[in-house]
Amino acid sequence: MRIKHVRRGVNRAIAVLAAGTMAILPLAGTATAQQPAQPKVLRVALTTGIDHLNPFTASLAASTQVGRFIYEFLTIPSADKAEASPALAESWTTSPDKLTWTFKIRKGVKWSDGQPVTAKDAAFTFQRMLDDETARTANGNYVANFQSVAAPDDTTLVIKTKAVQATMDLLDVPIVPEHIWAPIKDLNDPKTDDLSVVGVSDGPYQLTEYKQNEYVKFKANTAYWRGAPKVDELQLLVFKDVEAAVNALKQGEVDVINRLTPTQFDALKGQPNIATNQAPGRRYNEININFGVEDVNNKPIGNGNPVLKDLRLRQAIAQSIDTKTIVDKVMGGYGQLGGGVIPPIYSAYHWDPSPAEARKFDLAAANKTLDDAGYAKGADGIRVAPGGARLELRLTGHANRAFDQRTAQYVAGWLQQIGISVKQELVSDEELNDRTTAGNYDLAISGYATNPDPDYALALHTCAARPNAEGKGATTDTFFCDPAYDGFYKQQLTDTDPATRAGYVKQAQARLYSQAVNVVLDYDNALEAYRSDKFSGFQTQPQPQGSILEQTGYWGVYGAVPAGTETAAADAGGSNTVLWIVLGVVVVVVLVGGGIMIGRRGKAADDRE
Amino acid sequence: MTQALTSDQAAVLVDPDENRGGTGTTRFVLTKIAEALASILLVIVLGFLLFRLLPGDPVAFMVRERPTDPAQIAELRDRLGIDKPLLTQFWDYFTGLFRGDFGTSYIERRPVLDMIGERLWPTVLLVGSATVLAVALGLWLGIRAAWKRDSFFDRAQTGIALTLWSVPQFWLGLLLLVVTGGLFPSRGMHSPDAGPGFFAQGLDVLHHLVLPCVTLLAVFYAQYMLVMRSSLLGEMNADYLTTARAKGLRDDLVRRRHAVPNALLPTVTLVFMQFGMVVSGAVTVEAVFSWPGLGQLTYDALHGPDLPVLQGVFVVLASAVVLMNLLAELLYRVLDPRVRTA
Amino acid sequence: MTAPATAAAETPRAIAWRRRRAGIARTWHEFAAQKAALAGFVLLVLTVLLALLLPVISDSDGLDVTKATGHPLSPPDGQFWLGTDIDGRSVLLLTMWGTRISLLVGFAATVLSVLIGTVIGIAAAHFGGWISTILLRFTDFFLVLPSLVLAIALSAVLPQGIWTIVLAIGVTAWPSTARLVRAQTLTIESRPYIERSRALGGGHLHVVGKHVLPGVAPLVLANTTLVVGNSIIADATLSFLGVGDPTSITWGAMLETALNNGAVSRGAWWNLLPPGIAIVLVVLFFTLVGRGLETVLNPRLKGQHS
Repeated sequence: MRIKHVRRGVNRAIAVLAAGTMAILPLAGTATAQQPAQPKVLRVALTTGIDHLNPFTASLAASTQVGRFIYEFLTIPSADKAEASPALAESWTTSPDKLTWTFKIRKGVKWSDGQPVTAKDAAFTFQRMLDDETARTANGNYVANFQSVAAPDDTTLVIKTKAVQATMDLLDVPIVPEHIWAPIKDLNDPKTDDLSVVGVSDGPYQLTEYKQNEYVKFKANTAYWRGAPKVDELQLLVFKDVEAAVNALKQGEVDVINRLTPTQFDALKGQPNIATNQAPGRRYNEININFGVEDVNNKPIGNGNPVLKDLRLRQAIAQSIDTKTIVDKVMGGYGQLGGGVIPPIYSAYHWDPSPAEARKFDLAAANKTLDDAGYAKGADGIRVAPGGARLELRLTGHANRAFDQRTAQYVAGWLQQIGISVKQELVSDEELNDRTTAGNYDLAISGYATNPDPDYALALHTCAARPNAEGKGATTDTFFCDPAYDGFYKQQLTDTDPATRAGYVKQAQARLYSQAVNVVLDYDNALEAYRSDKFSGFQTQPQPQGSILEQTGYWGVYGAVPAGTETAAADAGGSNTVLWIVLGVVVVVVLVGGGIMIGRRGKAADDRE
Repeated sequence: MTQALTSDQAAVLVDPDENRGGTGTTRFVLTKIAEALASILLVIVLGFLLFRLLPGDPVAFMVRERPTDPAQIAELRDRLGIDKPLLTQFWDYFTGLFRGDFGTSYIERRPVLDMIGERLWPTVLLVGSATVLAVALGLWLGIRAAWKRDSFFDRAQTGIALTLWSVPQFWLGLLLLVVTGGLFPSRGMHSPDAGPGFFAQGLDVLHHLVLPCVTLLAVFYAQYMLVMRSSLLGEMNADYLTTARAKGLRDDLVRRRHAVPNALLPTVTLVFMQFGMVVSGAVTVEAVFSWPGLGQLTYDALHGPDLPVLQGVFVVLASAVVLMNLLAELLYRVLDPRVRTA
Repeated sequence: MTAPATAAAETPRAIAWRRRRAGIARTWHEFAAQKAALAGFVLLVLTVLLALLLPVISDSDGLDVTKATGHPLSPPDGQFWLGTDIDGRSVLLLTMWGTRISLLVGFAATVLSVLIGTVIGIAAAHFGGWISTILLRFTDFFLVLPSLVLAIALSAVLPQGIWTIVLAIGVTAWPSTARLVRAQTLTIESRPYIERSRALGGGHLHVVGKHVLPGVAPLVLANTTLVVGNSIIADATLSFLGVGDPTSITWGAMLETALNNGAVSRGAWWNLLPPGIAIVLVVLFFTLVGRGLETVLNPRLKGQHS
């Protein structure tokens, strides 16, 4: 009997709930339709954190991005080629000794409070960084070399440096208004993140609201010197979980999202109203092999397994790592096959091994190499080095990076098949950094993001980059130290002819490859997606195949064009909120009511007993 | 991961025998407060030592991937005080705590206390509302289940509660997120589009609160329900109930006037005891729903790892739990007639 | 059952054993009378058997990513009954093999925590005086610490691996056991025969070993089953938070891999449900058995559970 009562109660509850929903739905529909010209809002999912808005102390990538939206720079990397292009500075000249730089500041640009932007603001920004240590927190490296900064008049900025500085035409420092920042004594003051301070700006967008750890809101700067952005409002919404962010893109809660995994990218591809963007990345992923590394004084450092000093063993290992499978399976096909350390987007300098040089994935050949080299297989299938040491290697990598987690399993599986036992030791970023800079590894999953100029990527493998005896001060990637390589490195540095320089750059990469001190696995792609029903015209950097969000500039978001009339409907999220709250209340009321009803009946039954 | 599924376990967990002694109330209260302070001191020491064990050079970590000159590095080392002897470091840290200085985050380079402060209220809101609802639901279902012992309702409710209690919270959260597909916001606590005004903002927060709160609630109500049920069953065997029934009182009345109030005690005290567990649960739930609370801060700090923040969160959460526990013991003294008259 | 003649010839030890056997038989009957507990027990035994027999009935090659034959994240079909994971491995096979390490982590952590808890609990009750006070304070301190936060801290500090997880769970889960054991020990030690045993010259070791331990063992056993369930959930939670061991095959690691690689966006429910449901079921089995045991063994609870 009682069971029946309960069921009846539930049925009734469902009926009431359904009726309630029906009654409210049309209401919500009309509410949406009646709203006139909605502001066109662009919502960007943010999956990394924001520390400060104060551009002097904002160090995290997302905070730097906020700085790019609200402040203008002297120069910024162009959208098409990512080369220095005019921004606040219309033009610039250098003295013959390249120590004095004169910037011509644009006239007519205004701060959002109406004050003009002048060379004095720029001079103030740099001078503050020279005088105040806190002001150097985020971008101090750009001024470390400065001798003096001066603004002889409102349109001229003169910077003198102590030594030649390669980055002078691309100083990645937001210029702030002097009249706002000069009175602020302590740049660590939390008030410097307030709208009264960072709300006064001259970039394409202007801050309107900041809810720490939740979102940042901007409105379009209609007086922006390049012209007002096409969207009225920009929002950055914080997501801790990329899966939740993808879900939000599907639901239309956000419009643009980046840092997708290959699976997520595939899942979004071909979805209605969603467009995907795949951009070749600047980063190479690799496995470093500890070949008996040494510090800068050629003293052995770290606790690498000495068997790896044998080039034949290293080559056998390199031959047993199937980079194609890594690209196809771990990267889901979104990556280019590894070769040299310069990624293919820098096509002039990128090097791929010729078929003759290339190590082809071949476990049988690797096994034969090891057999011939005297590494006999033991009873358990693990080889023993001629000295009697079992071939047991540690493989380290980032514990919280999906790429490392999966790559480690593949590499362990392959090496097992050539008689090498692998112990996977995935550790925190900090510890990995410690282990690799001190040479405390056998095999390490690593990788570096490179620059358009090949110098940076090549310098990572020079003798001089190795650490001192304490394992400190290293800028090396592989600990590589080879006279032939260093020779090519120096030649490319001094050669001014682009073609011959590229030749040296490629020769250096070939030399590195031949020594099997690392295996370049692949080059990452930046995977992004956006709501094509709501926006178009995102300007990528570089073009044609660049990324929308991960760029050094505001181009991607600044270029966004709302897709006609649909935007009004797309913004229905706001009014939907009301609908769902009403629904939620109905559900609660019905449930509680139903519960009480069930309770009553139960009570009645009790009394009858 | 303290568990109690029966009133007996709960009694053992919440019922310090010292309570039964004949000490005076003032002395009892003072002893309890002193003990709580000792516990907090122990928390601070433990937190300090635990995070000093971690290998790695925090300075190398802080300057990685940004060009830094040696002078800057030396300055940083000096500011962090990591080259001083351990004892000096502890003293600096300890005295710092009293000045409200919990250290500086490695990643955000902001005072840890500021970061904890701005995350505190969202967590209090989430944990508070989930606890209140879980207790209400648990008590209500527990009473009904006990009263209708062995009925279909009892069996079904006990079964459901035990099953939900066995579910990993983050998993349940993700399932809810996928299943409800857009009914509720999937991230955060505020929508940037919510209108101004207290009412609109409040509704907006409530709307965001639904999923994380339900996830916490679903896992935690089981404990209150099962303890209430078992505690009430214990009461119902008591002689006075038989007497009450024999006097001809209606079941309903017996339940409300006699059994329930007595059975409430272990359950209510359990609420305070379980505070630490709910806080732990909040860590995963906040990570799933991007709820801007202490749990999310822990989750973020873990991926650095941002040791000063982890240490700060540890000290704050553990101290909060110690204080809740103190409250529970004092409350127990007030509520339990046996103890009061002793 | 036993003839009087043989009984007379029995040594005290034999009598004790006979009594114990009879006790166990009685306990089992009472336990088996509870349907839910019995079902939990049978299913749990089956699970453990499956875990032990896996190397015989299935091929561990299917766990090696380099030997995986399926397409990544393909839905369930005739060949892969529960579909494949991101690396093209059978989810069914992974879930079954996950039982091994998940149970191992659960049991190992439980053994550690119950060991600590029992030792501290008995010591706190047996010795009395300041030792007891200190141990009790110590237990209370750990009892209120947010154990997950402590476990997170430990896993962040120690090298990644399943033994770190075991340690992290083991050293945070013991206080409730210690409390229970202490209460039970106090009850037992207040009984007259302990007094007699002491009077007859029984030392600490004798009293604890002969009387207290056998007395608290049943309760510890019941408590253990509950702790195992918690440990398995804790393992999954730590994996989700990224401080687990991503290279081992546990349910937590399976969920972590699925979440990290976008299985939710892909709608690959067959990657999320099997490990999650496996956790829920095994934890539920342990909880049912634990409650059943407790009902039988704890006189105050007798007849409370149905």
